[in-house]
Amino acid sequence: MPKHYRPPGKKKEGNAAKYMTRTKAVKYLQVSLQDFRRLCVLKGVFPREPKKKFEGNHKTYYHVKDIMFLAHEPLLEKFREMRAHGHKVNKALAKKNKERAERLKAARPSYKLDRLVRERYPSFIDALRDLDDCLSMVHLFATLPAVERERIEVSRIHNCRRLSHEWQAYISRTHSLRKVFIAVKGIYYQAEVQGQKITWLTPHALQQVLTDEVDFNVMLTFLEFYETLLAFVNFRLYHSINVKYPPILDPQLEALAEDLYALFRYFAASSRARVLENQDLTPSLPENADLGSAGTEGDESDLRLAQLQLQLPTNTPGALMQLVEESGVEDTDDDETRECKSLFKNLKFFLSREVQRESLLFIIPAFGGVVSWEGGGAPFKETDEGITHQIVDRPSQCHMFLSREYVQPQWVFDCVNARILLPTDIYAVGRVPPPHLSPFVDNEAEGYVPEYAEKIKRLQAAARKDLMPMPGLDVEDIEDPQNILVAGVISRTEANEAAETKREMSMRESRYHDELKMELQGIPYSASRVDMNMQIPVEDTESKEETLPISELAVNGEIMMSNRRRKIYKAMMMGQEKKKNENKLLEKRKKLAKAKKSA
Amino acid sequence: MGKSAKTSRKGKKAWRANIPTDDIDEYIEKSTKDALTGGSLTTLPSDSLFYVDKSTDVPAKKKIEKHREKVLHCESTLQKNPFVVAVPSSILNKSKKKRKVPKVVVENKDVSKDEKDNVSGMVDLWEAKDQDNVKPTKKAKPSIIPAVEIEAPGCSFNPSFEAHQDALASAVAVEMQKIYKNELGPQPVPLTVSSEVVDEESLYILGSDHEEDAMDEENLENSDTAADRFSKTKRVTRVELNRRIRRRERQKTEAEAKKIEKLSKEIDSLPDIMEEIAKDDEEKQKKHLRRAVAKEERRKLGPPRLGRNKFEPAPSQVLLSEEITGSLRKLKGCCTLTRDRFKSLEKRGLIVPGTKRKRK
Repeated sequence: MPKHYRPPGKKKEGNAAKYMTRTKAVKYLQVSLQDFRRLCVLKGVFPREPKKKFEGNHKTYYHVKDIMFLAHEPLLEKFREMRAHGHKVNKALAKKNKERAERLKAARPSYKLDRLVRERYPSFIDALRDLDDCLSMVHLFATLPAVERERIEVSRIHNCRRLSHEWQAYISRTHSLRKVFIAVKGIYYQAEVQGQKITWLTPHALQQVLTDEVDFNVMLTFLEFYETLLAFVNFRLYHSINVKYPPILDPQLEALAEDLYALFRYFAASSRARVLENQDLTPSLPENADLGSAGTEGDESDLRLAQLQLQLPTNTPGALMQLVEESGVEDTDDDETRECKSLFKNLKFFLSREVQRESLLFIIPAFGGVVSWEGGGAPFKETDEGITHQIVDRPSQCHMFLSREYVQPQWVFDCVNARILLPTDIYAVGRVPPPHLSPFVDNEAEGYVPEYAEKIKRLQAAARKDLMPMPGLDVEDIEDPQNILVAGVISRTEANEAAETKREMSMRESRYHDELKMELQGIPYSASRVDMNMQIPVEDTESKEETLPISELAVNGEIMMSNRRRKIYKAMMMGQEKKKNENKLLEKRKKLAKAKKSA
Repeated sequence: MGKSAKTSRKGKKAWRANIPTDDIDEYIEKSTKDALTGGSLTTLPSDSLFYVDKSTDVPAKKKIEKHREKVLHCESTLQKNPFVVAVPSSILNKSKKKRKVPKVVVENKDVSKDEKDNVSGMVDLWEAKDQDNVKPTKKAKPSIIPAVEIEAPGCSFNPSFEAHQDALASAVAVEMQKIYKNELGPQPVPLTVSSEVVDEESLYILGSDHEEDAMDEENLENSDTAADRFSKTKRVTRVELNRRIRRRERQKTEAEAKKIEKLSKEIDSLPDIMEEIAKDDEEKQKKHLRRAVAKEERRKLGPPRLGRNKFEPAPSQVLLSEEITGSLRKLKGCCTLTRDRFKSLEKRGLIVPGTKRKRK
């Protein structure tokens, strides 16, 4: 008798009724395993882990309701149709009926995923929230080689490339990029779109290796869904800034693989066309309404015309400046966007040949800068007088213009993360630049602040303090170390005073709370007093400040908290303890390293 | 009707019985039928029965057409009735239909405005403002692991010294753990054992040894049972019996006394017991908490076991100390990002971890 014997006719219950093994699910749905896997990915149905695995630990389980959900999917029927179609083609080929096979192949049944996108993401915000994986995947496939063996087609890679560029152009245009981090794995970006923080990872400009471990069938199925999703998201985002969605790009620039720049141009052209339209159309609005379809055709030709107009002054530097200014027309931005927009304002960048272009072409316009590069279709040449920064990544630069600064690409990324223009001398050509810090680490929470982060913090404070930031003097001010020192001393003393008072307040408060706690626990006052006195001097002020809210919580909370909350809270405390220990270790190592260096 | 010659005429009685009464029966039947139906038709005049059709003749063709127009019942049931809504196969489909209807309306409205969009085949999916119709499906997220996990600061292309050491140390720890596991784990069971072939003689000796042991045991058992039998046969005298009864009673009273004493003692040590129970409870709770925390940690680390294979995380991407150049151009970046994304899918429990595929 099997372990979980159930007499025939008796209903299943418990886990056996709630879950289904994959084999059973496939049999129930009457599809092939491949189709089943594809369907699961597209519908967002994933395996689960039941509490009791009634058919063994080595099987995959799905929830019965999920399978029922799949069973009602029209796509299932489509898959069956496609399978039958495949049989038909095979049969025709086997009978040497080439004509019929060709005819059948031309009429292959296809399906659309629009409905599934809507079903899985009922609102636009939902879609944005889940965009991380989508963007990473699309960006990754945009750089992959087309491999016949893995059925990675050229057209899909082109589509991915187009979608990723469209997304980047939108982010750049709306200045919603927030953080950039170059890791060994790739480049992490974080943008904020409609209040949602979206993080994605793009590969370095390297040849990607396809390993055996990866099942590309699965990856391509995910990609299929993500392509559809991103297209719809892009559509919506483009319409939100009044740009028509499938953008019409300059074929010349496209041929030069400068899609991103072509998109910027398209944005500029469309916004200009809109301005023209508004001027033209306001008096003749009723007329246009009568014309109907003719009017829309006129719009299109208008747009073309505007594009052509923009193409003419390619090499005049004013063209791109206008682009940046025009994008500032919408005044619905929050503070952060404004800050991001004005970071590289009035700066002109030029990328040297050896610099990896893709990310910089994306980032610099996103922070309000103007950028050009060495190569075809570039907006201005290296000899341009107005260039303020040239980005160079080589050991030495032989010919230098005195009017501009030569920096390594890391400077741009660090500036973006710090939101100030950092001094350029430490990023000069041929020098080893300071460490590239991760902007995703919250130094305060971590408790450990790297040296360079502290320096950046001081610079930021200095930049904020400068009420009248003179464009010329600003950078020098920051560079002057003595100035900073003085400012630092002043701010230190002020801060110390404030901290003193704050500390006293917090001490009193915490003591009061502790006493309350003791009372609750029933410890006599005199006994607790001794303990308190023992404790206080051990803790330094900073940690006291940190622990203050927690101790408060401990008093009010632990009694009031539900069991679950309390556990979570305790787990949090454990984590903090762990982090503290790690930090101590780090400090120790740092000291050791310093000692080694000095020795 | 001929003569009924075949009937037997043997006895008088038989003769009487064989008189045919069919015609009489028939007549009676007919008359009753007529009475019920209202008279026989034979008596009626032909005028009342028939009439001459004086209307113009319907052409045969028209007749056929008319016949064709007629819809058979079986066919009519197959036709769609516009007033009857088809029964939806599930509630889900119903909601979808509801969702679709207003979308069409919106499209119609925007035709003049966004003709171009419709040409390209794109529609704003989320434009329709029928949010209240859409039942928000509460879907359990398969895992709490974020889709894009951000690497530690030490994995930067130009990390600060301490962060890099930290990241490097953790990477080394992972590798060393693997090595230690291999070294310290139990030895695998060897497939073959090297030893000499056992010859028949020694096999016999081994077997005989065993037999002898068995014999000895049997002997022992026999002696035991004999002794028992002997003791059982001894008779119990009345004196002995009385003594036994007294002894039993005494034992009983003693036990009771002891019990009472023990109870009183326990009552005395009640606070201690209470303390012990409290301690136990506390311990239990602590254990529970520890388990909950561990579970949460495990959920953060990877997926539950979803199939035959265990999930194995990809190694973290850290530069070696000598590889740090500070230059983006010379960076030895990760070129297996596809694997990383795939592992991320596995880690979040979206797909079942599999083995390495074989190349065909």
